[in-house]
Amino acid sequence: MTKIELETGGSVWKLLTKPGDLVEEGDILFILEVMKMEVPYESPVNGKVTAVHISEGDFVEEDQLALEIAVRKPV
Amino acid sequence: MNWEKEIDEIARRRELALSQGGEEAIAKHHAKGRLTIRERIDRLIDDNTFEEIGPIAGAANYDENGNLESFDPANFVLGFGEVSGRKIVVGGEDFTMRGGSPSPAGLRKSVYAEEVAIQYKIPLVRLHEGSGGSVGGTSGKGTNLPGPVNAPARFRSVAQAMSTVPVATAALGAVAGLPAGRLVASHFSVMSKKTAQILTAGPAVVARAMGEQKTKEELGGWKVHTKNGTVDNGADDEDACLAEIKRFLSFMPDNVGQLAPVTSCDDPADRADESLTSIIPKDRRKAFDMRYILSSILDRDSFFEMGKSYGRSQITGLGRLNGQPVGVWANDCKFLAGSMTADGAHKARRFMELCETFSLPIVSLVDEPGFMIGSQAEREATIRHGTSAVLTAAMTTIPWASVMIRRSFGVAQAAHYGPEGFVLAWPSAESGPLPVEGGVAVAFQREIAAAADPEKRRRELEEQLAARQSPFPRAEALGVHDLIDPRRTREELCRWVSRVQPLLPALLGAAKFSIRP
Repeated sequence: MTKIELETGGSVWKLLTKPGDLVEEGDILFILEVMKMEVPYESPVNGKVTAVHISEGDFVEEDQLALEIAVRKPV
Repeated sequence: MNWEKEIDEIARRRELALSQGGEEAIAKHHAKGRLTIRERIDRLIDDNTFEEIGPIAGAANYDENGNLESFDPANFVLGFGEVSGRKIVVGGEDFTMRGGSPSPAGLRKSVYAEEVAIQYKIPLVRLHEGSGGSVGGTSGKGTNLPGPVNAPARFRSVAQAMSTVPVATAALGAVAGLPAGRLVASHFSVMSKKTAQILTAGPAVVARAMGEQKTKEELGGWKVHTKNGTVDNGADDEDACLAEIKRFLSFMPDNVGQLAPVTSCDDPADRADESLTSIIPKDRRKAFDMRYILSSILDRDSFFEMGKSYGRSQITGLGRLNGQPVGVWANDCKFLAGSMTADGAHKARRFMELCETFSLPIVSLVDEPGFMIGSQAEREATIRHGTSAVLTAAMTTIPWASVMIRRSFGVAQAAHYGPEGFVLAWPSAESGPLPVEGGVAVAFQREIAAAADPEKRRRELEEQLAARQSPFPRAEALGVHDLIDPRRTREELCRWVSRVQPLLPALLGAAKFSIRP
């Protein structure tokens, strides 16, 4: 299980994944808005999104758990 | 008659000293995945270059006839060695005896480390693993006299070393109390993610005083201390820590009286990177990769980042331009938009003090939106720490080259430019008292509110004002030395570094202000 935690506070501008989605390494999972800048969060792994703990418009904090991904085993 | 007996006795003691805390203690230490201090020193320095200081200092027990019964070596190993052919002083606690808590001879050698580095004017490397004093005293018997009132101030040499020679330290096991204080009294510090913790006080003392139950790792593991700036860097294991120390030293002169070593450079000074023309998105909300720009402009593979996990909106480190070591500072717009936070300002101040101490020119790539704002920023005293960075920059005497990459706003931007610095701007540069987005909302509050479509009016005003922040009027007014094609940045900076060479010798010697932890 890979946990995506937030590196800074900010607001969730766009949420691009939902539970059950298959993601590839490098896919953009969601975009925060921090100090008027867009900060995309990319998937560090290939896998399946198992839980999403943020919603668009949320004000979020540093270290907050945003998303969980079950890592797909290489075939 | 000859001195054979005494000579044999010296050899015997040397052998006893090398046995450290004994086979069992060493095996236990290895079983925990850690190296002994002698192994650490061996791995740091060039082969066969160790010249030990006080190899037979320690505590001896004699029988009634004056014969040696047992010998406990000092639990701090100290000496000279060479790193890449350059002489250094190196030392560290021996954890296999008393858990590195200083024995009387160990303490003497430990305190001598700074003095000998100052005397010989060569870099000091301390490899730490150990705790501070014990309530039983350094002898372990509780009978030693307290130090006299007129004893020299213990930490004076620690402070003097930092204004005289490069000091690099590593935490390689648990480091607490005095060794923890000395760990951070350095220009560069690194901790092993696998084996080190740094503790002002360990779990037992914390539980007794605070009622808090925490493991060593929870209290002072790498996740805590790389993020809060206690150490500059975290490295995977002990060898990786030693490699980082060598890398740091490669940029440093031996002392403040010497120039940093210029190496030969096979990376062309006029190498132009095509991708720099499009790396800054035209959409001002989109971030870019400042570390890529740094690696593209500096000599190939020369960038050495310090403090990556701390004060992350600011990027600081060392690098080379045409072989000349330089301090490197830039903003990371991917983290809090690159704004000056309290911890980012502290990191920047230490970085500038390091460069001033060792007469390293500074290259600054500016994308500074201003001080971080909001309630957390206010609680962290951002304006105070930020202004400290601004005034530090204003007091430096070393040469600066600043390149306005994108934003340069507010009071905070002033920290990124040195006195009489060389200033270049990219076409993407914007500057002013504050970024238009915030500024428009405040200055045109009434006008926006009164408009038929307030959102539309706000955007129109932002666009009008953004146009005024263009770098062309600034270049027309000689507000920058030049407005350049980004592909020419490396060439321009290499020319600058060559121009400032004649200025550097006059800067040598003790800095007017030096670095503090």
